[in-house]
Amino acid sequence: MKTMANQTLTLKKNFPPFVKAASFAIAACVLAIAQSTPQIQLPEVHLDAYGLSPRPIEQLTGTAIAHGYALAWRDQVRALESNEAGGLGEELVGFAKDRLVQRIGEQKRAGVYARIVDHGHHLKAVFYATDGTAMQLLDQAQLEIQIYDGSKLLDTENAAHEYMVLMTPGADRWYVRDLEEVSAKSF
Amino acid sequence: MKTTTRCDFAWCKRVIGLVLFCMLPASVCAAAELHVPAIVEAGQSFAISASGSGQATFYLVGPDVVVKRNVNLGSDLRIQSSDVRIAGPHRVILCESSSCESTTFEVKAAQPAHLSFFLHPSRVPVSFPDSIEGTAFVFDQYFNLVLTPAVVDFRITPASGAGFSRQVPTRNGVAWMRVGSTPREGKVQVTAVLGNVEEARVIQQVAAEACELRMKAVTSGKMVTLETDPVRDCSGNALPDGTVVSFTKIDKAGKSTIDIPIKKDVARAQFSIDGPARISVACGVISGNEVALNGKL
Repeated sequence: MKTMANQTLTLKKNFPPFVKAASFAIAACVLAIAQSTPQIQLPEVHLDAYGLSPRPIEQLTGTAIAHGYALAWRDQVRALESNEAGGLGEELVGFAKDRLVQRIGEQKRAGVYARIVDHGHHLKAVFYATDGTAMQLLDQAQLEIQIYDGSKLLDTENAAHEYMVLMTPGADRWYVRDLEEVSAKSF
Repeated sequence: MKTTTRCDFAWCKRVIGLVLFCMLPASVCAAAELHVPAIVEAGQSFAISASGSGQATFYLVGPDVVVKRNVNLGSDLRIQSSDVRIAGPHRVILCESSSCESTTFEVKAAQPAHLSFFLHPSRVPVSFPDSIEGTAFVFDQYFNLVLTPAVVDFRITPASGAGFSRQVPTRNGVAWMRVGSTPREGKVQVTAVLGNVEEARVIQQVAAEACELRMKAVTSGKMVTLETDPVRDCSGNALPDGTVVSFTKIDKAGKSTIDIPIKKDVARAQFSIDGPARISVACGVISGNEVALNGKL
C-alpha cells in the first residue's frame, strides 16, 4: 500500500500545470476524500485518453472522470461486502446501479457476500461523443475477489478483469451508467 | 466445454503441507467435476453437468444474480434463462462438505433489440458541413451492450429533397456518424436502423445567416421609414420571425441604433432625422446596404 505522501507525489508528477488529456495519459490517484476521512480508501484509477475520438478531452474532464469512477468502485466494493445498497453514492446510475442493487438483494437472500480487494484500474477512453454526452471506456482492473457464504470461503480469485464502461456527465460530476465485465469472448 | 476441479482443504494444507497435498490422488480431494459451456447467450437456459454422487450446494454468482441451492451430483443442473440475462462472466461453485470447486462461463449479449440513439443538435443551420451528429448504442433485449460488430444504417430524410443514408459499423457496441445539413429548412428525420430495430429522431433545420440584406427608405418630412426586402439566407430560406435586424442612423444628433425583430419575412423601423443622415442595416454578422438621405452624403 502506497503512503499518502507517495500517492500525492504521483498525482503531482502526472499533472503538469496544463496538459491536454487527448495527447497524454492522465493518471489520477484520487485522494481528496481519503484525506478528509482516513478510513475511506479510493482505488487508484489511471485514465489514458490518448487518441480519443471523435472528441478529445481536457485535463479537468479527465480528472473528474477518474474521480467519479474511483468513487463508484469504492461504493460498489463496500456494498457487495456489506450487502447494503443504501450506502451507494450518486456516481452509479442507470443499468450499472440497477444491476448492482439487484445483485446485493440476491446476495442477501442467499446469505452470500463478496469481498473485493481493489488493486487499481487502468481506464482507456475509447469513445467520446462530440456533443460531450457520453464517454465509453475500457477498464483493466486488478481485483482479488472472495465469495463467502456466511463465514465460509467459497471461492477466491486474484486476476485481471476487463470492464466496458459508459459514463455520462451531470451538472457537477460524471456518472457510471453502464458497467459490464467483458472478455475477448464478448466481442 | 470447460472442466475445472480444485482441492481446497485448509486442514490438508496445514497438516500435510503443500507438496504432499498436491501429490494426493485427485479422487481423494475432488469427488465432483463441473462441466459448463464456455459461452452462453443471454436469456438462454442451459444445463451444467456435475459428476460424482451425493449432495452438494450449488452457487451461481453473476453480475446481477446469486443462486444457491442443494443439488444431487450426477445429474444435470438446470440454469434458468432468468439467471443469465446479464452479460459477463458467471461463477459456478459447487461445495461438498468442506471443499468447493469452481469454474466460470461467459454470458454473451443476445441479438440487438434496442438502439439508444442520440442526435445532436436539435436545431441546425442549413447547408452547414458536418453539423449533424448521431450516436447509436446497440443493446440486446436485456440492455447488454452488443459488442459483436454490426452495421447501423443511419437514414436521413429531409422535409424536402432526396433522402440519403450512411452505413456505419459499430465499434464496442457504438456507431457514430456525422453529416452536413441539407439546403432547405424544415424538419429532418434521422432513423438509426439495425435489422428490424429502428429508432427515429427529428431535428429542425433553420435558415442560415442572412444573405444580400437590403433595405429601402421612404422619407416623410423629418421622418424616415425603413423596410428590408424579405430577409433570406443564401439558399433562399426565410429567416424566422423574431430574428433581430439592426438599423443604425448617423446624423447631426449623433448615432442611434434600433433593433427590430423580423415579422413576416421583413423588418421595419422608423427614425426621425435631423439634417443629412446615413442609415445602415445589419443582421447578425451580415451587413446590408447603406442609404444616404437629403442627398448630402
